[in-house]
Amino acid sequence: MARVVVDPVTRIEGHLRIEAVVEGGKITDAYSSGTMVRGFEKILKGRDPRDAWAFVERACGVCTTVHALASVRAVEDAIKISVPANAELVRNIMFCTQYVHDHVVHFYHLHALDWVDVVSALTADPVATSDLAKSLSNWAKTSPGYFSDLQKRLKSFVESGQLGIFANGYWGHPAYKLPKEVNLIGVAHYLEALEWQKEIVKIHAIFGGKNPHPNYLVGGVPCSFNLEEVNAINTEKLNYVGKLIKDAMNFVEQVYIPDLMAIAGFYKDWAGIGGGLKNYLVYGDLPTKGYAYPEHFKFPRGAILNRDLSKVYDVNGKDENEIKEYISHSWYQYSVGDGVGLHPWKGETEFNFTGPKPPFEQLNVEGKYSWLKTPRWRENPMEVGPLARLLVGYARGNQEIKEVVDGALSQLAVPIDALFSTLGRTAARGIETRLAARWLKEFYDELIGNLKKGEMNTFTREKWEPETWAAECEGVGLSEAPRGALAHWIRIKDRKIDNYQLVVPSTWNASPRDGNGMRSAYEEALIGTPVAKDGEPLEIIRTIHSFDPCLACAVHLYDPDGKTLHQVTVE
Amino acid sequence: MKTLKTEKPKVLILGIGNVLMGDEGIGVSVVNELEKTSLPAHVELLDGGVGSFLLLEPMQTAKKVILIDATIDGEKTGTVRRLRPRFSKDYPRTLTAHDIGLKDLLDTFYLLGDTPDVTLFAVSIPPLQDMTMQLSPELISIVPKIALMVIDEVKF
Repeated sequence: MARVVVDPVTRIEGHLRIEAVVEGGKITDAYSSGTMVRGFEKILKGRDPRDAWAFVERACGVCTTVHALASVRAVEDAIKISVPANAELVRNIMFCTQYVHDHVVHFYHLHALDWVDVVSALTADPVATSDLAKSLSNWAKTSPGYFSDLQKRLKSFVESGQLGIFANGYWGHPAYKLPKEVNLIGVAHYLEALEWQKEIVKIHAIFGGKNPHPNYLVGGVPCSFNLEEVNAINTEKLNYVGKLIKDAMNFVEQVYIPDLMAIAGFYKDWAGIGGGLKNYLVYGDLPTKGYAYPEHFKFPRGAILNRDLSKVYDVNGKDENEIKEYISHSWYQYSVGDGVGLHPWKGETEFNFTGPKPPFEQLNVEGKYSWLKTPRWRENPMEVGPLARLLVGYARGNQEIKEVVDGALSQLAVPIDALFSTLGRTAARGIETRLAARWLKEFYDELIGNLKKGEMNTFTREKWEPETWAAECEGVGLSEAPRGALAHWIRIKDRKIDNYQLVVPSTWNASPRDGNGMRSAYEEALIGTPVAKDGEPLEIIRTIHSFDPCLACAVHLYDPDGKTLHQVTVE
Repeated sequence: MKTLKTEKPKVLILGIGNVLMGDEGIGVSVVNELEKTSLPAHVELLDGGVGSFLLLEPMQTAKKVILIDATIDGEKTGTVRRLRPRFSKDYPRTLTAHDIGLKDLLDTFYLLGDTPDVTLFAVSIPPLQDMTMQLSPELISIVPKIALMVIDEVKF
């Protein structure tokens, strides 16, 4: 029996350690540890609730906008504001932009290299690559000359010894299965996606005033529309947004989706690996008739237990019996005892580090071993993320979601059960990106329609003044970050923040076991995963990356040494 | 968004860091300090926060980039090093905690080629950061000094 340690898992935001027990070439047990401290809730206590979004969105460079969104919603819920239609549309445009950007960046820059062998691409035949690329898509850049130029550039880059972002790969590992030509297409689009992603995020700067960390506003959005005014968001800027959206749709339909489908076709064995938990949780998002009406969300709210798609449970973030955070295996202490689960409104953030001082060989997994708390929904461990969103939408009978899911399944000729896997998770992210790009256009068209009718309002002043609020109130802001269900809970007392708790997607997925020994999503998904080569845990990375880990907001810096450890100890 | 056409090529002053993590936010503090001064029109100030890939575009469109970031390198807190990195591996390994933020950004930045001239001011900070928006006293006192170093750099 060997224990494989991956610390830190690279190509993620934040700091994650995985310890896996390998027997007979397969993982039989696994432990996931967030090795950085959380606690920026403490920074918020005593502040003006209307400012909270500006602090929470600083937690992470990746999910920045969704944290701000969850925050303004929590405050609006507490002080009872509903925002004007245009504000909801702008928020939805920001949201969809974030999805399209983040999912494409995740696929190409954080996850593709788990499937695409860069070194193999160096010896691909450019003519064959061109023929293949033309058969996959109508994308313009598919000539043999294009691929051979790219190959030369890549060769000189590799030969210079500046492997840079490609330095952390396990090139030549037997689990890489793609033909050379597919690898070359993958690398080409890796670079094209880098160029493209710089453009799409300009939508955030236009509506949010700046980037990174765009502006939000309790009661609406900080946008001033005036179609003729030079300094406002005018016709010229809106046309530019329209162009960016069109380019985004083309990129998703002609590059991302064809690549995803082509790559998935060579890795169908991964439709039987990494399924993990059988429970899925979604708060839902993209309101079309206001945040108070989740039945009209584009992404429906709900929970699925035991992969039973015939039943979807309702989810209520305010019900103190539904969502609770446990700390049996987390470096915290509760005033009411460490065995109790606390609803976030009553949440506590007291550190109690009992772990080993780095560097250390392995964590004491019998005791506390992570800086992440362990959230549970009705005591069940839940997976959150794109797969959960599509499954809940599918099970709710949502037509738009059913159409794209069924389309992808029939193209790959796999049954719906194939979704319960590492491959399914990665495919789900691409499938929902198609929807996000379409919806981006839909919300944009609706906004333009409103503006043309002279509806310019983006903010409700009512309840802006703290004197109009109840002396004590509480709210919850539910959202869907690209990587899963995100919620902020706020308690306001005497017009100031009294308590503020976040339960972020990676807390659901990456948390340690609960007091009953039930594994959370990463730990469970690793069970049964094959590990072909000692010291090169490519398969572990594939499954972990399929969740799109982002721990920057879940935790913060603890181990200053950025060294990568792929140590294997034999017990 | 359109960049303003100026006669001189763009110089970008980019402060990076997480302001919620005390000294980690030193880069942003220096940018805030520079906001108080008047800089030539071709010089752009950017609070990069923990902006990761979002920073690629502003960096690529500049002729010259002056980067200010924290580093955990074991040196005395407040030590400022002026570095002239040519490749991503020339940067201090522990440029703060924003993992895919800076390191992967720099890797891709060099991969894409046609890179601007980069000067990095790496400011040493202690290894463990509390959740606070306050800089430690050693750093507060040198923010104006670092700002002056940056202004000198613009003149090069």
